Amino acid sequence: MEILTIITPFLLVLSAIIIFLFLRSKRRISARVSVIATLVTFFLSLVMLGYYVVAGHSQVVHIGIHWGSIWLDPLSLIMWVFVSGISLLVHMYSVRYMVEEPNYTRFFALLDLMTAIILFMVSAADLVTLLVTWFLVGVVLYFLLGHDTNRPAAGRYAFWTQITYRAGDLPLWFAAFVLIKTYHSISLPVIFTQIQINPHLHAFWGLSIPELVGFLLAFAAFARSAQFLLHGWLPYTMDGPTPVSALMHAGIVNAGGFLFNRFAPVFEYAGGALHMAFIVGLVTAIIGSAMMLIQNDVKRSLGYSTMGQMGFMVMECGVGAFPLAIFHLIAHGFFKGSMFLSAGNVIGEARAHDGVPPDSIYTAIVERRPAKPSRLPWLAAAALTILVPVAVLTLSHFFVSSELLYEQGVIILLFFGWVTGAQALFATHKMTHTNPWRLMGGILESFVLVVIGYTLISHYFSNFLYPHGVSQKLYAAASINAFAFDALVIFLAFLFVGGWVLTFFADSSGWWDHVDKGRWRGAYLSMYALLSRELYVNDIYARLTQLLLVFSHRLNILLRWC
Amino acid sequence: MDILIWIMAGTLLPWFPLSWIFNKLLASAPGFWAQALAILVFPQLGLLLLIHSGAWQALPVGLDPNLRVIALFTAVFYAFRAASTREVQVWARLMTTSGLALTWLLHGQNLDPLILQSVALSWSIPGALMLVWAGLLKQRMGGAYLGLTGGLATVLPRLSALVTLTALAASATPIFPNFFILFYVVKALPLLWIPGGLLVLLLWGWAVGRFLQDLLFGIYRGELLEDLTVGGTWLGGLVLGLFAVGGIFWGAHG
Repeated sequence: MEILTIITPFLLVLSAIIIFLFLRSKRRISARVSVIATLVTFFLSLVMLGYYVVAGHSQVVHIGIHWGSIWLDPLSLIMWVFVSGISLLVHMYSVRYMVEEPNYTRFFALLDLMTAIILFMVSAADLVTLLVTWFLVGVVLYFLLGHDTNRPAAGRYAFWTQITYRAGDLPLWFAAFVLIKTYHSISLPVIFTQIQINPHLHAFWGLSIPELVGFLLAFAAFARSAQFLLHGWLPYTMDGPTPVSALMHAGIVNAGGFLFNRFAPVFEYAGGALHMAFIVGLVTAIIGSAMMLIQNDVKRSLGYSTMGQMGFMVMECGVGAFPLAIFHLIAHGFFKGSMFLSAGNVIGEARAHDGVPPDSIYTAIVERRPAKPSRLPWLAAAALTILVPVAVLTLSHFFVSSELLYEQGVIILLFFGWVTGAQALFATHKMTHTNPWRLMGGILESFVLVVIGYTLISHYFSNFLYPHGVSQKLYAAASINAFAFDALVIFLAFLFVGGWVLTFFADSSGWWDHVDKGRWRGAYLSMYALLSRELYVNDIYARLTQLLLVFSHRLNILLRWC
Repeated sequence: MDILIWIMAGTLLPWFPLSWIFNKLLASAPGFWAQALAILVFPQLGLLLLIHSGAWQALPVGLDPNLRVIALFTAVFYAFRAASTREVQVWARLMTTSGLALTWLLHGQNLDPLILQSVALSWSIPGALMLVWAGLLKQRMGGAYLGLTGGLATVLPRLSALVTLTALAASATPIFPNFFILFYVVKALPLLWIPGGLLVLLLWGWAVGRFLQDLLFGIYRGELLEDLTVGGTWLGGLVLGLFAVGGIFWGAHG
């Protein structure tokens, strides 16, 4: 099994080297070699996961003397299957999609190299291997995003990505040095064991070692997963080839969630870092989703959607739901990968059918459909919207893992599930339909199925990833004062319920139009302008960079370039 | 006498402000081969002077913080200046000066002189290679100034590939030895000094990002240029390959 462990990631390194050195002019063969190598890697990853399920123990395989060790634990194995699976889809798609592009063979070699590096990264058992691969992901991604060298924009946005990644590397390096200097080892299993033995070693600024490392790791994760203020690069990665966007949004950008999970034993004692992650994730989720709504470009819209999803993933880590973040990143990865790979079809479809909503008079006269389709009574819709998600979510969690229902993190996630579900039902209510009860019934049925499926899968997934009750420790680390938490939840629940009831009422009675009289239009437009300029975050960075470059240039002139 | 040794050493294994003389000496060397040779030899001479005069060993450990400030400042200062540089020869000099300054941080680590020399050599090799590539660019284009024409990767694919790999090596990209040396150097710093060391890494990332953007991207609109020969490319690739193997070896032995 050790041989297989080494072969699995190295196979793609080998194929990349073969393509670079010997198959540069053989387009078709290089694509085949690349796809077959990825297919075999995916198959081997599945075999390893299967072996773990049967044998049931983790192991560390050493390739090098000092560094280069691979940790085969549930997290690595799940990530191996996920990464190689996504990469296989991207490879197969690229065979035809990229066929008319120059540097076709180099593209496949880089794709192989990128997949291999990610496989090493997610299974790194020591800090040096983690740092090397974490760094290399940024480098190889730069060349993949800048595949089309004729376009200066591709280079500019590849650079944005590279420099944000580099900024995110620094806290990870710092965290690694703190751990190495404290525990005198680079081995992750050794360091985690030592943290369990003595978790409250003092660092500085009144922080313990796990707290300091937790904050640093969280910052590293924020840069990789495009959290607010470090997100500017993500929507612009669309300038790279579509398969790279798919790989990027389905796999690479999830590295933040992986980092939280890999260092879960540190975060068990780093509650402050988890609270910060929750707030940053929440802000990112809201801003990412808001920006997604105002985009008129399908790929850019998907980019901001990823930002929102990453915010939600980091937020899940912030409440202590670490395995859920992994489940989320896998589900989001496949979903977003398929969205990107089908973006071309959507654009083609949009060219054929404009998708403009039908005019009601046209619908009534030409299509001979009822001019005034009905809606549910607003009170019934409001009651369904508010009560059904609460009941479905609570019951499904109660029957699957009732002990977790009392954890603050689970309550927050249930709360979000409720808000999201209710919002979906509200949107359904706004749709006019000849049979509104049937429409609402269909949506409710789908909602119940989704919630039950999600609850069951996330429960079994948690048990697989963290079999020894680590989940409870992480939830406990993320908890705050019980009274403050209860007060906050009750306040927010009333706020949301009040808001929905008011919205339902205003929507059905036309009360808001009567009260508003266009007074808020200016505020809406200002908000739209602010969001359309991406809150000026990129402009501020660009201006700061410009100033620094001018200063650097003046220094060079002063010192005569010596 | 000691002062004279320190001044000479600070010039050859540069720290600011003596690094200015180091750069001036390099720039005045006739031809790119001489510049490349000088960038390889000067730091070695500086180290030999320090080690054989006993000045390196005699420096009290109590002076380390001052040495640290000077070395880190030099590394940060030259990396920051490299970010706005588009001339390949100047870029190579500034980046190499930034890297070489970090060698001073190894004082007090009781390292074998041979290791110290190989550390300095690891910063010099990418610098020397880059000076050679800059010279070859100058022969073809009349100047090695990036960003004027753009898209050199299309018209000079082989030379651009070598320049790209060398720039990555100079900016401490794994698996080149500079990555592991930087790791070792920063690890040797006290905890509160580590952010200073990491700032160098960030500035190198910025400098190399801008450098590659000017080198690789855009549409070339100049006259047709003759690329490096296949043999020359293989030779350059072999040197860089061996350098990378050296990195793996260095990393493997901690």
